[in-house]
Amino acid sequence: MGNDPPLPCRLFQNYKPHPKAWDELFLNQQPHSHCKELLGQFGQLDPLEFQRRRTSADMAFVNQGITFSVYADRRGVEKIFPFDLIPRTVPAEEWYAVESGLKQRITALDAFLDDVYHDQRILKEGIIPGDLVLESKGFRKEMIGFRPPGGRYIHICGTDLIRDEKGQLIVLEDNGRTPSGVSYVLENRAVMKKVFPELFQYCRVRRVEDYPRQLREALCSVAPEGAANPPVVVLLSPGPYNSAYFEHSFLARHMGIELVLGPDLFVEKDCVYLKTTLGPQKVDVIYRRLDDDFLDPEAFRPDSLLGVPGLFRAYRAGNVTLANAVGTGVADDKAVYPYVEEMIRFYLSEKPILKNVPTYICAKPDDLAYTLDHLGELVVKAVNESGGYGMLMGPASTAAQRAEFHVKIRANPRNYVAQPVVTLSTCPTWTDEGLAPRHVDLRPYIVSGQSTWVLPGGLTRTALIKGSLVVNSSQGGGSKDTWVMENGRA
Amino acid sequence: MISRVAEHCFWMARYLERAESTARLLEVNRTLLLDFHVPTEQQWLPLLIISGIHDYDEEDATAELVQAHMTWNEENPFSIVSSLAWARENARIIREVISAEMWERMNFYHLWLRHSGTRAMYDGNRGEFYAQIRRINQLLHGIADDTMSHGEAWEFFRLGKHLERACQTARVLDVKYHYLLPQVADVGSPIDNAHWVAILMSCSGYEPFHKKSRAALVDPGTAVAEFLIFEEEFPRSVHHCLTECRRAIDAIGRPAGFDTTEADRTFDELLQWLESRKMLDLIRNGLHESLTHVVDSIHGIGHAIQETYFMGQAPASKAFEQKQTQG
Repeated sequence: MGNDPPLPCRLFQNYKPHPKAWDELFLNQQPHSHCKELLGQFGQLDPLEFQRRRTSADMAFVNQGITFSVYADRRGVEKIFPFDLIPRTVPAEEWYAVESGLKQRITALDAFLDDVYHDQRILKEGIIPGDLVLESKGFRKEMIGFRPPGGRYIHICGTDLIRDEKGQLIVLEDNGRTPSGVSYVLENRAVMKKVFPELFQYCRVRRVEDYPRQLREALCSVAPEGAANPPVVVLLSPGPYNSAYFEHSFLARHMGIELVLGPDLFVEKDCVYLKTTLGPQKVDVIYRRLDDDFLDPEAFRPDSLLGVPGLFRAYRAGNVTLANAVGTGVADDKAVYPYVEEMIRFYLSEKPILKNVPTYICAKPDDLAYTLDHLGELVVKAVNESGGYGMLMGPASTAAQRAEFHVKIRANPRNYVAQPVVTLSTCPTWTDEGLAPRHVDLRPYIVSGQSTWVLPGGLTRTALIKGSLVVNSSQGGGSKDTWVMENGRA
Repeated sequence: MISRVAEHCFWMARYLERAESTARLLEVNRTLLLDFHVPTEQQWLPLLIISGIHDYDEEDATAELVQAHMTWNEENPFSIVSSLAWARENARIIREVISAEMWERMNFYHLWLRHSGTRAMYDGNRGEFYAQIRRINQLLHGIADDTMSHGEAWEFFRLGKHLERACQTARVLDVKYHYLLPQVADVGSPIDNAHWVAILMSCSGYEPFHKKSRAALVDPGTAVAEFLIFEEEFPRSVHHCLTECRRAIDAIGRPAGFDTTEADRTFDELLQWLESRKMLDLIRNGLHESLTHVVDSIHGIGHAIQETYFMGQAPASKAFEQKQTQG
């Protein structure tokens, strides 16, 4: 490190920030002003003590069975989602801007959904190509002319943000179908409080624990007409063998609602009922963690055993609220994403607060040609995939992989978009060689009923492999607690 | 509550109870054999039979092999690890229903069973190992009572516990039938008495039994059987357990549109059968036959509970039709 001044604490003594990426905690070898306090506190730990706390955090996850399952055999294997103890911090003022940006974005996305399922003004005025929207896999013609109870489409949105080399937060994608991961935000915080109680005395961090209550209130606020008071809200899960079952049960527990599986529900005279020990009970709001395809074998995939026959009929009759609404996938299609800034201008007449990553839409001939010529420099994504699947990381790819994508893209251009590689920001993360920079992203959660609320912070996912820009848990990523500071103090 | 969830509560309790009961049997049999030299085939086979295992190779019925089979064999659905694994799997599915403390303990023991130190305890201090297994269920019921709302879920949990326990007590008593005494003269012999004491102890009934005043001149076998079947105050007696089940069912209530259910009917039948009889009637009828009747009736009750509460009621209109056909 040459003549640079020493880092302020022992734990970070040998930390070498990434040569190119923005570091979430350090700027020119010194802590950002908003995390001085945090790093000062951490500085009092020696690496051995840090290791001890790390073990105790891991044990807390194991003992509470906070796991995701990898069901390979009958009994299944449960794994913990790797958790890194160094928090990722966000200064208070920056968060205010992010929060307004996210609210603005969700308002535009909901207006877009209402428009495409009704007047289709944005298509008629040529702002977004009509075929791009109407041919999207997420577009549900069954929703045309139907307005969900409360007029709300995306009740829960997980918007992925990344920070570029200049330190600017930009939107990578919006997850408006059934975003997951929020239980880790809450559990990570609970474990941090258990393992580092003293940190929370010195650093003022905004609470995340309100999420379940906020979500429940939002869902109750959009219950259909004629709902019970309070409305009967249930969480519909694909079942205990789904990898996110822990999260489903966590949310049901914290929201104080029932967790149900498809076969627990039935539809009679266009109303949804729960099978209980004391007879049928009418259900008003369903927080569903099933994709559209699986919701109702009568309306969508006929082979779905997870759904509820007749559910969509009950929905169209206005007797039950589904969160999220059916058909929101068209708004988080990766080929529609590049138009979100346009949507904000079109529906809200406002300037977008959060920027998108520049995106080449292979459905457009010019963009297609550019993409095919520059595969080695771009990230190529299949428009309907998530979890880091169906992706080509240009700079890290082999000639054979590029050739394969060349063929795939030419065969079905509508299915692909491409983006320049953004060097994600990094955060100090514990590795086998001590603390080292690892790339991170941030998924805030936006909850909307009659009004919109943003969870302060969100899920910080971190790549654990050196140099990797892929943070998805299915690709070996971990997570961190995310601290939105109060009053800019840490 | 959701029918499926009720079913998981019920089975979670049954599996927990079964694990405890298996540990009790294994421990009692083990200590009994320290005092008496019983022919090998009589030592461990009866234990398998009362657990419902009939296809076990007699040649392998040695102390260590049977205990390993009943404790660790994951392929054996009646083993302690299987029972506890199924209890935890039921709990995992209804984590949002049981209390966080219950889940943490359940999960703790799940990890504990897989820990190398636990295997070492089994090898080095078998008695303590079985005592630990018994404590799992005791602890979980204590936690449940103190941390769960005493609502429907809790009642189904209690229902499962007491139904399984009634069945296990009946089976433990029946084990005597399978121990062949060499001669009639052995009745009332030290071996015979030791068996009865062992049975009492496997139900934690040794001290309560002796504290209970009873008529002299009754042979110890009859007295013990009477205690374990009829004693209302003893928490593991068949009668006590069935009474608790009855209370749980009443607290749960009946599905809309039903004044009485199949569960009610089967319960009342068994309770009346028991209450209209005295110990001597059971002996006259044959103790084994009487106990078999109890065990079979409990199976029937299990099916009736399934049908009444867990199938999920059809829509109101259909429930009405059902009521009609059930008269």
